[in-house]
Amino acid sequence: MDLDEPTHRPSPKAPMVWALGAAIPWLFLVVAQAVWFAVDPRPTWLHVLALLGTVLGIVVFVVVVPLWRYRVHRWDVDPTAVYTRSGWLTQERRIAPISRVQTVDTHRGPLDRVFGLANVTVTTASSAGAVRIVALDADVADRVVSRLTDIAALGGEDAT
Amino acid sequence: MTQAAGPDWLGGQEWIRLSPRMLLVHPVHEVLRQIPVLIGSLVLGSATGNPVWAVVGVGLIVGYGLARWFTTTYRIGSEEVQLRSGVLQRKVLSVPRNRIRSVSTDARLLHRVLGLTVLRVSTGQEAAGDTSFALDAVPAREVPALRATLLAESPAHIGPAGIGPAGTSGRVLARWQLSWLRYSPLTFTGLLMIAGTFGVLSQAGVLAALRDSRAVRAGTGLFEAMGAVGSFLVGAAVILTASVALSVSQSLLTYANLELRRDADLLHLSNGLLRVRESTFDMRRLRGGSLREPLLVRLFGGARLDAVMTGVAGVGEASQLLPPCPRRTAESVLADLISEPDAVTGAVTPHGSVATRRRWNRAMALPAVVALVLVVLTATVGAPAWTWPALAVLVLFSAFLAVDRSRSLGHRVGGGWLVARAGSLVRRRDCVSAAGIVGWTVRQTVLQRRAGVATLIAATAAGVKRYEVIDVPADLAWSMAAVTSPWVGATRWARNQPDFQLRSP
Repeated sequence: MDLDEPTHRPSPKAPMVWALGAAIPWLFLVVAQAVWFAVDPRPTWLHVLALLGTVLGIVVFVVVVPLWRYRVHRWDVDPTAVYTRSGWLTQERRIAPISRVQTVDTHRGPLDRVFGLANVTVTTASSAGAVRIVALDADVADRVVSRLTDIAALGGEDAT
Repeated sequence: MTQAAGPDWLGGQEWIRLSPRMLLVHPVHEVLRQIPVLIGSLVLGSATGNPVWAVVGVGLIVGYGLARWFTTTYRIGSEEVQLRSGVLQRKVLSVPRNRIRSVSTDARLLHRVLGLTVLRVSTGQEAAGDTSFALDAVPAREVPALRATLLAESPAHIGPAGIGPAGTSGRVLARWQLSWLRYSPLTFTGLLMIAGTFGVLSQAGVLAALRDSRAVRAGTGLFEAMGAVGSFLVGAAVILTASVALSVSQSLLTYANLELRRDADLLHLSNGLLRVRESTFDMRRLRGGSLREPLLVRLFGGARLDAVMTGVAGVGEASQLLPPCPRRTAESVLADLISEPDAVTGAVTPHGSVATRRRWNRAMALPAVVALVLVVLTATVGAPAWTWPALAVLVLFSAFLAVDRSRSLGHRVGGGWLVARAGSLVRRRDCVSAAGIVGWTVRQTVLQRRAGVATLIAATAAGVKRYEVIDVPADLAWSMAAVTSPWVGATRWARNQPDFQLRSP
């Protein structure tokens, strides 16, 4: 037996939001390097080396990783379970039965709010069993949450 | 567990003080705990030539100890139990009675002399330190009644016969035997204790003070007479003997009267010669067990047993049911507890050649790096001659680890149980009930994807929360999950075609 991949992708805006989120810390580094160059421009090779490192980091974490993650990330909900695939280098597929769901939370960071995205976290009684559906369009997230809370007999048994 | 200002809606219930005998215990414990302050006040007293400081210090500490008794009260309401405490900062701890999962007692020497016991209540939540509900202390003879009252509302209660006075009813699953002592010299407890003592002594300057004493000078003379090798051998022998003696006596004092008793849906564990501990577990919260076999203990056919239980931490003393004991004993106790002998002793399915290769790669990584460094060193600045035999020993040991880990690695599914065995230095066999599994994860690193294996992780609320089956063939991972938890196979995504090769990318 095997499990098919979950069908739904995150919002198409997800790679851009992830890229922006990753770009902000790198920008600070770029500014710091510019200041360093302005204050003490020698030796040049050290600056070139640092610049190369930064460019490589930006290419990997701001361009490659968000696109890679977008290719991997999938989610799906059926009447009995919630199922996700996530990661990039290390990938994982996680499934949890809705009957054992304890809470369904929505989380929206500052960037998520700007672009109208939301993240849904479905927790179970185990700290190792939380299922996260990230970077959904806000209206999709709302529908997922209401569907999950409808199916789950939240607050019924203690689901341990 | 919730903290709230004491509601008065319970009404009619009296707030009860702890045993008045704690008026003796608290000051002593406080003085022991505040030794730095005490030393400070003594130093201040002698420095200023005014002994009043020392008296004030002791007075304050004793006064605080006394105040703790006057400010600590508890009550057992119809819905919840509450504990009010704090001398300066008042707090009320409330525990709903239907959430109480286990009640344990703990009596140190001073408590026992006065006939007292610390009673701890634990819920499904993890609690530590300030948030744990502990009555320190109540008279030991009131404990059976208190325990029965506290557990009466919990799901552990199973009719009037369910909770007898502790220590009488039920069936004994295991009792400590003298032969168990043979596993205790094989732990590092003694060495750690010796190292700890030396650390404290040197910190306190005792070693420096001893250096000039006549005994030490005589000892130094003796060592000089024996020569370097002789002194080393004698020193090692002395430390080893002391370590074994300490380990054995420590284990004797802790476990010599251990008794594991099952009383319908309750499990009682009591142990300790000087410090007596007694725990009561709710069997309905039991989700399995872990047999742990540290290498040295395993060589002599021993194992230790931990409970996998919700509301009980997965590691350490809290979950330990049996200390190192003959493996057969641990196995039969676990089989009895979970009524599934196959999960405990049944053969496990090995994970195949890829998993074996990965064990070898990992074990050989360290020797490979060391060898590389040595080669580079030899080529440049030169390396001491002894490093090469040391490297050979390292390679042999790593090879042993790889062989042993590959042999240990295995799983067993079916019958509603997931069994995972892995490890060499600490081999463990985790048996987890499917009823307790609340989610599955299949994880693959880049290397695992290329090798076609995956790590299957069962999430549960019990024990250590996550139980991993490492490096199973990738196409088997979900089948194992589905065999254990049929709901996985009933989802929309389940596909029964065997041709996993055709899976869309």
